[in-house]
Amino acid sequence: MKFRLLFGILLLAHALLLPHLSERLKQRSVEVKLGYIPHPQILKVSVADHSLPVAEAAVMKVLFYFGTLVEKFQENIVIRPEYLNMYRTLETAILLDPYNMDGYYFAQAAFTWEVGRVKEVNRLLEIGVENRQWDYWLPFYIGFNRAYFLKDFAGAAPYMKLAAERSGDPLFAKLAARYFYESKQTDLGLLFLDTIIAQTKDKAIKATYEMRRAALLMVTALEKGVAAYRSARGSNPERIEDLVTEGLIPEVPVDPYGGNFYLDSDGRVRTTSKLAEQPK
Amino acid sequence: MNPISIEGLTKVYRDKKRRRVTALQGLDLQIEAGEVFGFLGPNGAGKSTTIKTLVGQIQSTAGCAKLFGIAAGDPRARRRIGYLPENPSFYDFLTAKEYLSLVGRCFGMDRSAIERESERVLELVDLHPAAKRKIQGYSKGMVQRLGLAQTLLHDPDLFILDEPMSGLDPLGRALVKQVMIDLRRRGKTIFFSTHVTADVEAVCDRVAVLVGGKLQTVNRVSELLEKGIEGYVIQLPSATAGLWSDFEARPQSDDVCEVFVPRGKFNSFMAIAGREGVEVQLIEPRRRSIEQFFLEIVRRETE
Amino acid sequence: MPLPAVLLSAKRMSAHQFVALTLANLRMIIRDRVLHGVLGVAGVMLVLVPAFSSFSMRQSQEVAISLSLSAISLVLMVLTLLLGTSSIWRDIERRYTASIMTLPVSRVIYLLGKFAAMALFLLICAVILTAAGSLVVLLAATQYPSDLPISWGTIALAVLADLVKYLLLGGIAILLSTVSTSFFLPFFGTLAIYLAGSASQEVFEYVSGQFGQEIPALSLAAIKGTYYLLPNFAAFNFKVHAVYALQVQPGSVVFACIYAATYTGLLLILAAWSFNRRAL
Ligand SMILES: Nc1ncnc2c1ncn2[C@@H]1O[C@H](COP(=O)(O)OP(=O)(O)O)[C@@H](O)[C@H]1O
Ligand SMILES: [Mg+2]
Repeated sequence: MKFRLLFGILLLAHALLLPHLSERLKQRSVEVKLGYIPHPQILKVSVADHSLPVAEAAVMKVLFYFGTLVEKFQENIVIRPEYLNMYRTLETAILLDPYNMDGYYFAQAAFTWEVGRVKEVNRLLEIGVENRQWDYWLPFYIGFNRAYFLKDFAGAAPYMKLAAERSGDPLFAKLAARYFYESKQTDLGLLFLDTIIAQTKDKAIKATYEMRRAALLMVTALEKGVAAYRSARGSNPERIEDLVTEGLIPEVPVDPYGGNFYLDSDGRVRTTSKLAEQPK
Repeated sequence: MNPISIEGLTKVYRDKKRRRVTALQGLDLQIEAGEVFGFLGPNGAGKSTTIKTLVGQIQSTAGCAKLFGIAAGDPRARRRIGYLPENPSFYDFLTAKEYLSLVGRCFGMDRSAIERESERVLELVDLHPAAKRKIQGYSKGMVQRLGLAQTLLHDPDLFILDEPMSGLDPLGRALVKQVMIDLRRRGKTIFFSTHVTADVEAVCDRVAVLVGGKLQTVNRVSELLEKGIEGYVIQLPSATAGLWSDFEARPQSDDVCEVFVPRGKFNSFMAIAGREGVEVQLIEPRRRSIEQFFLEIVRRETE
Repeated sequence: MPLPAVLLSAKRMSAHQFVALTLANLRMIIRDRVLHGVLGVAGVMLVLVPAFSSFSMRQSQEVAISLSLSAISLVLMVLTLLLGTSSIWRDIERRYTASIMTLPVSRVIYLLGKFAAMALFLLICAVILTAAGSLVVLLAATQYPSDLPISWGTIALAVLADLVKYLLLGGIAILLSTVSTSFFLPFFGTLAIYLAGSASQEVFEYVSGQFGQEIPALSLAAIKGTYYLLPNFAAFNFKVHAVYALQVQPGSVVFACIYAATYTGLLLILAAWSFNRRAL
């Protein structure tokens, strides 16, 4: 009887503790969440024949971590992400399993727009192009990165061609053609985002791409406003609010990255947020 | 060709610290066809060592042992024998029937023979009710009975039994003795070890005594019993008590008295009895038992 | 009554004994509670595969295949370890050998019977697990359409190669259990050889390259000697091929099988020698 009572009390105490446990663990610092992954050479030697699931697990770890970041970001809580650690982990995953599409896909999603590590991402993607010989997305990514971020149109061309060949899909041929002949960066970016969002199902990644797309749409709208202003008045507007007073746009949109849009001396649309950090 | 032939058999074990333990020293032994041979010795005498060498569980250090002329250790040597290990342990995840079937297959018996014979031997050792239960749940005595059944299954010519009575209740002991007597009647050879002299007296033709790894004697049991007669206890009417002043005499009851006559004086006793016309009521030989014989050898050897 | 034993030729009798002992040992394995537990865990692992693979962004099907293959491989390894390392020494300790080996059974037959029972059980498990794994993969493949076909043949081949690999490992376990009197040497010895044999190819390639010029010749020779002595489990890894539907070269499969056969044969002969000299 005594033991039953004791058991009941302990059980109750335990049940009361559980919610606090998960609360506490949620509060862990992000370093703890992402953790540390051993050197790929060591990992490869120690996981016997389970390198594929281990690679996938590493990608998942980064993905889940990234998911919490996106959540926080949408709630306007700014934390410094551990980009280096994330990148290392992804690189390890790719070295463990050079066929792992999730790794490439995530590298493309997380390290180009936000962080601008385009060259490093391309280096990873090259491994994928070599191994995943049937895959047309990877050359497409590289081509896009070269054209859009690095302005290396000549370097992008062969990859777009490769993507077109591998896919046999006219879409890529069309995209390739557009990349070579269109100079408008925002349109190029929108095109890429539309293509990729249609293929994305992961919520965190989709959210980042959609945020990016929304921002680019705003920029496009503002650019169109500026162009209309110029053709009507023959000069660039002084301030961005002039577009509203002229009735060219209903209101100045709010930069989803938390900055304010403004116009520079050449009349180009700028923002104070991270959005402005790339394609320069 | 003798069923068992052992010449100069020596076994030296190495213990955990690699020290030498001589368990058996130059054993010579011939077991003839059709005899029941008792292998008597105190604990640690080397009985099991000898038997394990015979059935190929261990290799001898020197000397040789043969079963029906085939070197012990060769699997073929075991085709005509039934062996019961000391404290046997069988595949206990099997039922008795399954185990007997495995044994039968290993002796090359066919399915119908296995079925028929396993029914027979299970019946014989009273295990029939438990035949379809796993051996895991058996008591020590039941396992021992199964061990006996397993030796009988393929009706071998030679039985090698290491302490077959140990772990059995009186019923079981009687059963084993009866089985041995029946086998002897059918002309089978039995070689069994024991440290119980009564068992030897009950069933053996010959007995060997092993002490400290050395063979002490080999005797016919009938000769031992005969040689062991020390004298006779004779019951006579009390009225004749006065005649026996040369002997130890004691009154047994009101009208019977008992006289002990040493073996050498039997004839002189008979002469008196004949002369006086005494009515002898009972004559019983008093013998030195095999137990005493055994104990004497052990005592002499360990001194 | 004639003695049936005398009527059979030695060869026929050995064959009878081999079959009888294999079946008896198979019964021992099948009636073992611990193994039921392991198979239960295997079932749970496979059931969880679709849930895990749904986290993948671009390769649910591939992740499902790789997780299933890894689960199967892991389970087969655990079974091999449990069965192989508890074989001969435990039979001696439980005095089963005193009753079985004193029938007219040679020790080689006994050893082969044990090995065959283990092999048969692993084969049965592999077949069942592969069937279950295939269902799981089919289920997971519907989550995200893959560019790649599911190559059932290669998947079966990957499991088969794993099976052959674990038979070799089982040979090692049995050899070690013939010399041991307890669980420790066979278990940890086999585990160590498994890990070393899985990593040896990586290490060998590493020291054969540039790094090898920096280490002393003697250590290099020792590493290479060990490499040739250890079983090379990398030869049996066709998981990448199965997951990404890559072409497997028939030569490498044949080579792996011959390699396993010779190595396992050598192990069993060594085990027989060692067991023959053992007191029971
Ligand atoms: N495996 C072994 N290692 C070392 N000594 C042993 C071993 N087996 C038996 N002995 C020793 O050999 C002697 C004979 O043992 P055994 O043949 O079993 O006697 P018993 O006559 O009681 O059957 C004993 O002193 C015993 O301690
Ligand atoms: Mg003994």
